[in-house]
Amino acid sequence: MARVLLAWEFGEDLGHIRNMIPIAHELRAMGHDPCFAFRDATRLDEVVHAGFEGFPAPALRPPRTVNPAPLTFSDILLNLGYENGDALAGALRAWGDLLALLRPQVLVCDYAPTALIAARRARIPRATLGTGFWMPPSFDPLPALRPWIDIPIAQREALDARIAQAVARATGSTDLATMRELFEADAELLCTFEELDTFGPRPAVYEGPVTDDQGGLPVAWATLARPRVFAYLKPRDSHFEAILRALRALPGEAIVAAPGLEPSLAAAASGPALRVFAQSVAIGALLESADLCVLHAGPGTAGRALLAGVPMALFPMHLEQFLVARRLVEAGVAVMVAPEDPVIDYGPWLAQALGRADLRAQSRAHAAKRKGFSMDAARRRVARRIADLAAG
Amino acid sequence: MARIAFAWEMGGELGHAMACSVLARALSRRGHRVAFMFRELHQLALLPEEAARFEVFQAPMSLFDDHGAGPAYSMADILLGAGYDDARKLTGLLGGWLALLDHWNADMVIADSAPTALLAARLRGLPRASYGNGFSIPPRASPLPAFRIDAAMDPSHLARSDARALESVNGALAAFAGPALDILARVFETDEDFLCTFPELDQYGARPAAAYWGPRFGDDVGEPVRWPPHEGSRVIAYVRPASPLVDALIDTLASGPYRVAAYIPELDAARRARLQSARRIVSERPMRLNPLLEGCGLLVSHGGNAALAALMAGVPQLVLPTQYEQFLTGLRLAQVGSGLWLRPEATRAEVSGAIRRLLEEPSFAAAAKAFALRYRKYSPAEQQRRIVERIEDILSRSSTPQGERQ
Repeated sequence: MARVLLAWEFGEDLGHIRNMIPIAHELRAMGHDPCFAFRDATRLDEVVHAGFEGFPAPALRPPRTVNPAPLTFSDILLNLGYENGDALAGALRAWGDLLALLRPQVLVCDYAPTALIAARRARIPRATLGTGFWMPPSFDPLPALRPWIDIPIAQREALDARIAQAVARATGSTDLATMRELFEADAELLCTFEELDTFGPRPAVYEGPVTDDQGGLPVAWATLARPRVFAYLKPRDSHFEAILRALRALPGEAIVAAPGLEPSLAAAASGPALRVFAQSVAIGALLESADLCVLHAGPGTAGRALLAGVPMALFPMHLEQFLVARRLVEAGVAVMVAPEDPVIDYGPWLAQALGRADLRAQSRAHAAKRKGFSMDAARRRVARRIADLAAG
Repeated sequence: MARIAFAWEMGGELGHAMACSVLARALSRRGHRVAFMFRELHQLALLPEEAARFEVFQAPMSLFDDHGAGPAYSMADILLGAGYDDARKLTGLLGGWLALLDHWNADMVIADSAPTALLAARLRGLPRASYGNGFSIPPRASPLPAFRIDAAMDPSHLARSDARALESVNGALAAFAGPALDILARVFETDEDFLCTFPELDQYGARPAAAYWGPRFGDDVGEPVRWPPHEGSRVIAYVRPASPLVDALIDTLASGPYRVAAYIPELDAARRARLQSARRIVSERPMRLNPLLEGCGLLVSHGGNAALAALMAGVPQLVLPTQYEQFLTGLRLAQVGSGLWLRPEATRAEVSGAIRRLLEEPSFAAAAKAFALRYRKYSPAEQQRRIVERIEDILSRSSTPQGERQ
């Protein structure tokens, strides 16, 4: 039996938890002993209710002002507080003490770079797990986040050097490791498809999504009217109202899941052809016969749409979603509105997307390529690879 | 020997880590094993070297303090803003504390503003003590009493806040098969409250039948700093760079006839340059107050342990509150007559005027000296010795033998 520590350090998205808990169940079924470390300890309740132990992950101190347009992953680490030497030293010390206390045979990091550094120092086998954005290909210097912008190598090297020096200062080490050395893992568990990988395609194993995020209100299409549009949206997005207006104007039927919306607003926005739910809904059955999926390009929902062969209209809200959206547009299965584009009447734009036969054909082709894909099997493969690391 | 966990969960001031480290050092010298479970890990760098030997863990905490909780009237409101507004969030926090205490195999918890650590210790039947000034150790009344004195309050507010927080507490306790509490105040039940203040300074007002252990300033830790050999009144500044009056304070000190010893953590280079000179020392680390307070004319701070150290040395204080607890301390010091406090929106003229008054009007120093005289037998070293003794007493009475608890 091996103890496996699954660590989540950065990012607000609950997808991290939703990926890790099913993998932990799989590991437990194999006879192992998984436990968790989250920076936001108020989220550990899901871990508790699943019958696992959860620890707080050490926190850094982000700078008061951050760079709104980071160039590389090193730049993101600077935004997360890697240059606050006292905080980084404190966090690495606390990670080291937590690893010494728990003595895991494997550390699995889902956006947990500081844990990765601590495990390297403690010589504990480590895996990275995620949908790719925080797992840049291991090169020195790290690649640009936006491949279409030409950033001189020297500039990327300088960003990497700032992180390497910050880590060396915080650990009191004279050995100046490169970014590749600091963040390289024994296994890279890419729980996504290559069309969704912000750094893809890369020569790595894409295990595919490992969770179908079950739960959510069961909802069915109410009419036979076409087209059928399913939308999964955040009500705080600046496009939200305009998208609802556009969906209401379309023929056919639309279903919108907007978790976090005031229930009274959801009720007021709903009618016979457009139903708005202020919670998550069970999307599997809806996507099976949907003609278009409108979303922010979160990798979870986008993966479901890809598997169902449904074309996507994407409204990314931040850099990671924008990079995912760009990959999907490249694959010919999606259209997108960039975060900085002015809000317009999206009715004609959505109608045009619905009419595009090439989007439909490409989406079906990508789905056909994955016929027989099973998330259960992907989850088991990922758990097996983690267990193999523990076995050495 | 026992394994003693220091828990600091709420509040971002400098005093928590420093006070814990001083007591931890004393316990460690008695042979006990110490772990810090702290809210802010960057403060470890400021602690005395001896603290480097202790194990350190991140304290479970809510990342979004006061998130939409509105103004706080009682400790219940503060709890609601720190994760107690939702049983699910509190279940996560409590689970984190339980996991840490279980795996580290703690024999006792010393809670410095750490109510959820107290809940975890209660669930495990561990001995536990509160360690803090008056504010973090509310009188155990139901509902928890109001500390806010400057705003009208709906009389039912206290009971409502208590009930909401209690519902979360009981929801979280149920997730770990713990029995429900009847009143919120039970969260704060301990084997001992190390209430480290005096009745005159207690933010809740003097409370009956409470044992006051006296303030917990460690005036013998920190960087040794000497007053520069120049003319001018001596002013100590112990403030945070983000507080609104820092620029007015720096300009006043830099343009006046003062000698200055300042500790302003994470101060940017431009402001440092404005303040630093041959007469004005800007320390990189917390300063040792013990010799510095001798002959000092004024200490400017946010009203934490440093202000109390100044009071006990007969030195007037200027308090620049950045939150309500500090405002209440400022108010108490003004009532003692030894200090003044300023609103965050005070003008530059008000800042320089207050500094001049505190240095020139003899009543402030006289009141501070009278207070110090009243407590002249008070000794921080003796307080610490008694606290250590009481902790060992609690440990020796705890029914479960050490090492067999799980």
